[in-house]
Amino acid sequence: MQQAVALTGSSVARRSRPGDPIFAGIARASGVFVLLLMGSLILSLFIGGLQAFRRFGASFLVSTTWDPVHEVFGAAVSVYGTVTTSVLALILAVPIAFGIAFFLTELAPAWMRRPVGVAVELLAAVPSIIYGMWGFFVIVPIMSQYVEPTLIDTFDGIPVLEDMFAGPPFGTGLFTAALVLTVMVVPFIAATMRDVFETVPPVFKESAYGVGCTTWEVMRSIVIPYTRVSVVGGIMLGLGRALGETMAVTFVIGNSDHITANLFGSGNTIASIVALEFPESPAGSLKLSSLLALGFILFVISFIVLAISRTLLRPRLKV
Amino acid sequence: MSASMTSGSVPGPAKDLKVARALGTRRHLTNTVVKALCIAATVLGLVLLGSILFTLIWRGAAGLSLTVFTHTTKPPGSNGGLLNAIVGTLIQTAAGTVIGTPIGLMVGTYLAEYGRNSPLANAVRFVSDVLLSAPSILIGLFVYEIAVEPFGGFSGIAGCIALAIIVIPIVVRTTEDMLRLITPALREAAIGLGAPKWKVIVLICYRAAMDGIVTGVLLAIARIAGETAPLLFTSLGNLNWSVSLKQPMASLPVTIYQYAGSAFDDWVQLAWVGALLITFGVLAINIAARLVLSRGK
Amino acid sequence: MSMTSESTQSQNASFGGVQARAHAAMNAARISIRNLDFFYGDHRALKGIALDLPDRQVTGMIGPSGCGKSTLLRVLNRMYDLYPGQHATGEVMMDGDNIIDPKMDLNALRARIGMVFQKPTPFPMTIAENIAFGVKLHERLSKSAMEERIEWSLTRAALWGEVKDRLQTSAMGLSGGQQQRLCIARTIAVRPEVILLDEPTSALDPISTLKIEELIDELKHDFTIAIVTHNMQQAARCADQVAFFYLGEMVECAPAAQIFTSPKQKRTQEYVTGRFG
Repeated sequence: MQQAVALTGSSVARRSRPGDPIFAGIARASGVFVLLLMGSLILSLFIGGLQAFRRFGASFLVSTTWDPVHEVFGAAVSVYGTVTTSVLALILAVPIAFGIAFFLTELAPAWMRRPVGVAVELLAAVPSIIYGMWGFFVIVPIMSQYVEPTLIDTFDGIPVLEDMFAGPPFGTGLFTAALVLTVMVVPFIAATMRDVFETVPPVFKESAYGVGCTTWEVMRSIVIPYTRVSVVGGIMLGLGRALGETMAVTFVIGNSDHITANLFGSGNTIASIVALEFPESPAGSLKLSSLLALGFILFVISFIVLAISRTLLRPRLKV
Repeated sequence: MSASMTSGSVPGPAKDLKVARALGTRRHLTNTVVKALCIAATVLGLVLLGSILFTLIWRGAAGLSLTVFTHTTKPPGSNGGLLNAIVGTLIQTAAGTVIGTPIGLMVGTYLAEYGRNSPLANAVRFVSDVLLSAPSILIGLFVYEIAVEPFGGFSGIAGCIALAIIVIPIVVRTTEDMLRLITPALREAAIGLGAPKWKVIVLICYRAAMDGIVTGVLLAIARIAGETAPLLFTSLGNLNWSVSLKQPMASLPVTIYQYAGSAFDDWVQLAWVGALLITFGVLAINIAARLVLSRGK
Repeated sequence: MSMTSESTQSQNASFGGVQARAHAAMNAARISIRNLDFFYGDHRALKGIALDLPDRQVTGMIGPSGCGKSTLLRVLNRMYDLYPGQHATGEVMMDGDNIIDPKMDLNALRARIGMVFQKPTPFPMTIAENIAFGVKLHERLSKSAMEERIEWSLTRAALWGEVKDRLQTSAMGLSGGQQQRLCIARTIAVRPEVILLDEPTSALDPISTLKIEELIDELKHDFTIAIVTHNMQQAARCADQVAFFYLGEMVECAPAAQIFTSPKQKRTQEYVTGRFG
């Protein structure tokens, strides 16, 4: 009896091939490890920030104070800077990225597609610190000498815009940070949009051309409606990048602890203040805890944005 | 047949060519304007890439000399180089890749070959995708919490761990994608010969997906070689020569960060040299990755 | 009601297998092709084609896969322009213009020469919008005129009865056969002069196929039609003249009855009797 049971298929296989369950076990354990990694990442930021959350409570989120001398800290300035620069960068980046993606999928002659596409991808691969240096040494002087004075003059006397495009034309500040972020996220969004546009079956485009559509009409009426959801996903992916960008922003944002309503004023983002203030924050201090709490907030914001992006993108770009 | 009854209600095939022509002119104009804007956007993108590369060469090449590779970082004005930063980046990038790749490979294998669409696999895939784009500075903070503070100091090993965490999701993504591209027939053929599943995966599937996996690893190397933010709180940087993983360790990006913001001309110059080296290194690896992937086609 | 009897006749013909229908003499050419060569890069896919598409009649194009029949269709509305490396030389004359002239206004050309594809391709919008989409490109119609046009084209495509209560719902919800008839309606709504059908029934069930074939018979009273098909019975049932293609050449073009019963060329005979292809 015992022998008969032992001879059934699965147990024979298991006995003669111990490699299979071991390999499968390692693979599965690695998968679980990634989950644990993410879990402990969230947890460590939260626990690290607990001291600050306890001390300041909900006011941590809305307080604009950042006073290391009296040990009073609030997140509002950094959250404002993070959101403002990222959203502004996105507003500027989306049309440019769309133009590039449209060019790459529909307009470019065949020989040009691959080199230009690779160039765009290389732009995405340039390390962020390089964008920071380039921004600081190339863009900032251009901004302070030409762009900012011109914009201030142009919008002078126009309500709302007059207040937005104001402030000291030093070249650094929220607007310049947004510009550098724009340059950084354009290749990400463009590459994603291109990949998404290419998933539209050619026969749908052909049938639109078949009724006499121009290239732009095919894009607007067929390609964009087909890929709308994934395009939004690609934009969110770019937003996720912009929100957490550290080095490039640190170089050009001016790094001040105050909220300025105008765009040329300096400010900071969560990532930039963490990078700058961390060296002056001793272990166990309330300041370090506040920085970790800021990190936790950044993580929550990024997580939401990236989760939405992934949900929108995955169905179309799954391989 | 009702079809024939109403055929007269709208006149036959002829249509008002004048209206069509007028509309056509406007549509062509719109089309031309949009096309021109798109070309302008692409040119802008290329100009920006050109501007970055040009700036790097312009300002970096001037300071490029043998000293950069033979001398370590020194106080301003004393003819220092970047040797310790270059070696530090090589060590940390290599160690990060060596730690992260096997884990990423196994996770990718799990997703493609075992988990597929099970709830656990979906959760792992989701988390890995989010980790792929998560702000790298947060990974720095996390590793500070688990590997720096408890052990009483910044260390090269902490830097390696932070970089390894960045490697994992990149390798997961390409491994899973590449394994999924393999036709079921190949697996079935191997299983049909009586090979156990793990041997099929290791000996057949990995080999079939090799180009894609190598591409993923190369892209991961290119990504972590240029990372600054996760190293600020982990390996910290070190202005002295040190190859001990237990000590703070220098790296090119962190040294660039420290030097570029300094007030000393020779440090700023070295920052540009470092920027030139790291950028062209990263771009070269990226191009190599693409060549590997297109090799098989 | 002559149409009714004719469609009945074509139905009868369909039971007779390769029994071609009787038909009248050819009309004057609507499109006339001379010396047409077509290249995919360096590969010459069409060689010296000469063919007339008679006005308001159906030209069937048959031949084994890769023989160039679909390629010819894609030359007629310049669809090949979308793809780099493809070009044509020769003459494809319509109303005194050479269609393959690079200076041709393609959008206007495609408004005059409509195309229906192998796979149904409803656009991602409502049924009514699908029809209105093409019309709006070339005409400015009032709301009521547009509604009238939608009803007209859907009626002509034998779809009105099935969809008149759900015009504002997504076209994706229609069955495959309905989607294909919607695509035909969308094409005729633009009121082209010529309609190109690229294996329009190959993805459809027999009932839907029959409906489309009846429709083709209907439509030829107003439109010049070219249809590519793999199905010889379909060519026999629908076409007035049939052109047989082989390896990029047009081997023979003759009235349908003749090509299926007494072809002049040996290769045609071998193909229609099923010896290869």
